[in-house]
Amino acid sequence: MKILIIEDEPSLREVMQRALTEERYVVETASTYFEADAKLAGYSYDCILLDIMLPDGNGLRLLEHIKKQNKRDNVIIISARDSLEDKVFGLEQGADDYLPKPFHTAELKARIKSVLRRGKSGGNLTLTAGNVSLEPESSRVTVEGKELLLLKKEFDILLYFMQRPNHLVDKSILAEAVWGDHADQADNFHFVYAQMKNLRRKLTEAKASIEIKAIYGFGYKLILPETE
Amino acid sequence: MKLIYRIALRLSLVLLPLMALWATLFYFTMVDEINDEADDTLEDYSELIIMRMLAGRELPSLNNGSNNSYSIIPVDETYALEHPHIDYYDAEIYIPEKDETEPARILTTIFQDNDGKYYELQVATPTFEKDDLLDAILNWIIFLYILLLITVIGLTIWVFQRSMRPLYALLKWFDNYTPGQNNTIVPNNTTISEFRKLNTAAQQAITRSEELFDRQKQFIGNASHELQTPLAILGNRIEWILDNTDLNEAQIGELLKMQQTLGHIVRLNKTLLLLTKIDNGQFPESKEINIPELIQEQIALYNEIYESKEIRCTATYDNPLTVQMNESLARTLITNLLKNAYLHTAKNSHIAITVTNRTLTIANDGETPLDAEHIFERFYQGAKKQGSTGLGLALADAIGKYYCLQIAYDFYGKQHHFSVTWP
Repeated sequence: MKILIIEDEPSLREVMQRALTEERYVVETASTYFEADAKLAGYSYDCILLDIMLPDGNGLRLLEHIKKQNKRDNVIIISARDSLEDKVFGLEQGADDYLPKPFHTAELKARIKSVLRRGKSGGNLTLTAGNVSLEPESSRVTVEGKELLLLKKEFDILLYFMQRPNHLVDKSILAEAVWGDHADQADNFHFVYAQMKNLRRKLTEAKASIEIKAIYGFGYKLILPETE
Repeated sequence: MKLIYRIALRLSLVLLPLMALWATLFYFTMVDEINDEADDTLEDYSELIIMRMLAGRELPSLNNGSNNSYSIIPVDETYALEHPHIDYYDAEIYIPEKDETEPARILTTIFQDNDGKYYELQVATPTFEKDDLLDAILNWIIFLYILLLITVIGLTIWVFQRSMRPLYALLKWFDNYTPGQNNTIVPNNTTISEFRKLNTAAQQAITRSEELFDRQKQFIGNASHELQTPLAILGNRIEWILDNTDLNEAQIGELLKMQQTLGHIVRLNKTLLLLTKIDNGQFPESKEINIPELIQEQIALYNEIYESKEIRCTATYDNPLTVQMNESLARTLITNLLKNAYLHTAKNSHIAITVTNRTLTIANDGETPLDAEHIFERFYQGAKKQGSTGLGLALADAIGKYYCLQIAYDFYGKQHHFSVTWP
């Protein structure tokens, strides 16, 4: 899997490159519009991470180039401008996803995985971890082929963790991811515990091989079975 | 007080003593002039009588049709020496024909006949009633004052309005002015140099402040944008350490706290960007929003998040309320007001939401009123709350301004009332 990171800020480029290399992707980088254009002309990539604000040109024009050349590269736009218009415009221009800065590494990885899977399997986005499969579009979860009924919030939490296996998720970040901005000033996280308790009980009862483990009371981590 | 009223009031106040002074002067001059005329007649008359008497001729009869009258009485020498020989004065005299007393002008002359005997001649001519004159003058003065006042004020208003037209044009322009909006230039089609100067000065000041306003907006926007990348780097580095190093509990705790603080900065930054975008009017698309539906959806969320506070939230909708708004802004507005209520309500308290006509009111129990003047200002916080951006109500206010909504705060019945009224 080849990924091209087009990002002008060296430090962010380095962080992204390191994180993605760890995921066993082949990562190349470009820091300018010119450099990116040259690389895109010569090679093709499975996924392109495109910062649209480059010092020597607008990344959206690069996107136009890519789509004109009829390449099948997946493009995820990474932008400091979190505006709906940019997002809509980018997606209309043929980008596969739009990730506003600042983002979590885990989020980036999850998005890349999702985009790559979508490109490969023609729209099948099913996530699998251990003996648990999750279909985001139909909100269905199965354990060993048997359906597991989850409430909306429980499903959202499980989806969030299955996109980030082995990643420690702080409870405040989880709250914000699942409950949105509403939760950012909550005095306590009882509401997270309550949902989490139910979800963990249901997973155990269904004999799932994965476990969402509490880490020192700070947060949770999705632990995959040893055999994997 | 309007300038024209002030001018009218001052004019009438100045006119009042001026007219009084003028009336007094007029009265005395008038009386003087009349007395002078009467005195001349009396002098002629008394000379005629004295001459006739000295010449031994017949004295004029007393009833000659004119109301003039005279009397001659002999006086002794001492009396003659003690009194002035010619003396004019006013007195009431009795007129037998009319059987009444009338005011008269009197001249007494003391003279000696050929024998050296002293006589006192008193001639009188009836004259005008001074009280009548005074009354007449007073009446006319009042009439004149009112007439003059009406004329003067009318003229003043006319002249004032004609010549102050450029000033009112400028004031009207100021009334329509909203900072940061597309404003027309200051009208400057007057030939009066003072007003031209004023208009130019106003235009310059406005241009300057618009520039500053734009620059400030741009600065906040740019600064927030520029912060996004470093924030992303920082967050990613923390995550990398968390995922790739063996850490003990304390270290993980510290890193997660850093992550939370970072999350706070990220939220703050996003809110500032949102505020800038609202100020720039970058939310053109709008759709029908069902407010009660939106509220119900959010109440469910907040009841879950703040379950441990055991807040009772009741919502009553007197009528359906749909508004034309940008969906994400409508959501932000309701979210911020509701979150504010949930956040600042004590345990076991009550939140009451009501929709009446086109007004949404969110009331929550509280002890003391908030500072209504400042609560909608950016970064104003009564008591510092952890994790608060201090921008929630400012955001609600900005959205309110963007859609010309009336957002108000009131405190009564031990409850904070935040209300939004759609036009």
